[in-house]
Amino acid sequence: MTPIIQVSDLHKHFKLSKHHRGFSGAFRNLFTREYRLVRAVDGISFNIEPGELVGYIGPNGAGKSTTIKMLAGLLVPTSGKLVINNHIPWRDRKNYVAGIGAVFGQRTTLWWDLPVIESLDLLQYIYRIPAERFHRNLDEFRQLLDLDAFIDTPVRSLSLGQRMRADLCAAMLHDPVILFLDEPTIGLDVVAKERIRQFIVHINRERSTTILLTTHDLSDVEKLCERVMIIDHGQLLYDGALEILRDRFGGKRKLVVDFATEYEHVDVEGAQVVNREGLRVTYEFERGAMTASNLIGSLSSQYRIHDLEVREPDIEVTVRRIYEERLLEK
Amino acid sequence: MGYILGIYRRLISVQIRSQMQYRFPFIVELVVTGFVTISGFVTLAFVLQRFGSIGGWKLGEVAFLYGLVETSFGIMDMIFSGFDPGNFGRQTRLGRFDQLLLRPVNITVQVLGSEFIIRRLGRIAQGFVILILALTMAHINWTFGKILFLPVVIASQIAFFGGLFIIGATISFWTLESIEIVNIFTYGGTEMMSYPMQIYPNWLRDFFSYILPAIFLNYFPALYFLGKPDPLHFPTFAPFLAPVAGFGVLAIALAFWNYGIRHYQSTGT
Repeated sequence: MTPIIQVSDLHKHFKLSKHHRGFSGAFRNLFTREYRLVRAVDGISFNIEPGELVGYIGPNGAGKSTTIKMLAGLLVPTSGKLVINNHIPWRDRKNYVAGIGAVFGQRTTLWWDLPVIESLDLLQYIYRIPAERFHRNLDEFRQLLDLDAFIDTPVRSLSLGQRMRADLCAAMLHDPVILFLDEPTIGLDVVAKERIRQFIVHINRERSTTILLTTHDLSDVEKLCERVMIIDHGQLLYDGALEILRDRFGGKRKLVVDFATEYEHVDVEGAQVVNREGLRVTYEFERGAMTASNLIGSLSSQYRIHDLEVREPDIEVTVRRIYEERLLEK
Repeated sequence: MGYILGIYRRLISVQIRSQMQYRFPFIVELVVTGFVTISGFVTLAFVLQRFGSIGGWKLGEVAFLYGLVETSFGIMDMIFSGFDPGNFGRQTRLGRFDQLLLRPVNITVQVLGSEFIIRRLGRIAQGFVILILALTMAHINWTFGKILFLPVVIASQIAFFGGLFIIGATISFWTLESIEIVNIFTYGGTEMMSYPMQIYPNWLRDFFSYILPAIFLNYFPALYFLGKPDPLHFPTFAPFLAPVAGFGVLAIALAFWNYGIRHYQSTGT
């Protein structure tokens, strides 16, 4: 299978004019133009196969938005190769965007003063969606996203969560093969997030839509994506399975044990006690040096155990470590 | 072609329906813009009453210039509202232009359809009333050619002002601060065009003849309609250059606009 998204050695550099401060600075700004080169995206390569659901994460200013804007055809790369769905996005804009969907979290594609349904009708015309297919899709999305409660409400009166649901529906009506989501859950409460995640999983599984999503919320990635790409300072730090990321950088795992009776010493080989509260003891153990089943085996041979639980390190902590300690720096 | 016209019609219909939801601002602006147009004309009338004429032009003749420009500018301000530089610049900073780029439709048509301020009908109506008034006062010798040429002149002026709006919108891709300079030409230009151009100093008139060809859009056509001699000694076909000047400015503006879009896509500002 050929990749549906091919990115190789992609660069995007911006020239930012330097600003001098103060009154004399303002005067200098008027006559001299000094530029500072910012490498927002600095040599990124990856392929995405049809039907993949990939998470794209990184701290603020890392180059996430710039990348996704290039992929969506909004920005022209400084250099590098970009072929998506057999198009060069920026060169062939109209044909290209007809085959993709995009939702930029903070902005709506819908008409502000129009009831949701009328915006959707207008999009049917714009994307030339055959009536039969339009109604089939609309019926399905209405149900999945529970749009009926507000489908006749003007967009300006919707809550953020409702607006996001309406925007997701709008982005999928024309059966795009690729969907770009930029911060689809930003600012939403837990229930709204969950509904949107379910929808994303559904269209990825049922329609095999290829999805690339950027997010701040690592629980999005954890719940949705098998593959994750991490960008920082314009470069890809990691591209691979979420599991492997956790294994390599996740640090120590925890085992929480509830003993059946009180013991004076609860030491066990290969793990350290990090917390002790009554009958509950928390151990930490090194991944690789010790497996959970061995640890549980040796504990239960020495002590009477009531209950236990293995805790994987939090992905959020893992990724923060990667950013902060620059663990992946080449 | 039918598809793109259908898109335009639907986008405009959205704008009109949206504005109908806000009745109060609609009525206020109808009254206010009407008042501005009429009071401008009343001032002009008082000045002319005091001095009799401006550069040999009597009230009815100056009113012809004024009414024609007001009408055309009003129509343009309605049709091209999507390109209104200040508004377009702000919308672009908010990411609105990106949303348009994501749709598989010609971008210029989408910007035209992104705004259609029907409140401008107030200004158009006032301009039209003044124009009718002028036509009754100025004793025009109507010929078949003049009757045909009047809508051509109005269309040319709409194209001319629309071109200035598009140039302003394009500049907003680079900077928001410098838009005021374009506004000087747009709004200052309409003011200038409301008076007989021979009264201006040479350097100013030259600018509006050879750089920004406003003189061909109102002054020379007016000479033709009113049957007045040309004190500037331009060729006799000068009045008929209106469509060339108007649509020429629009064509240059559209070329600049397309260049601006490419710049926007390479900088993303």
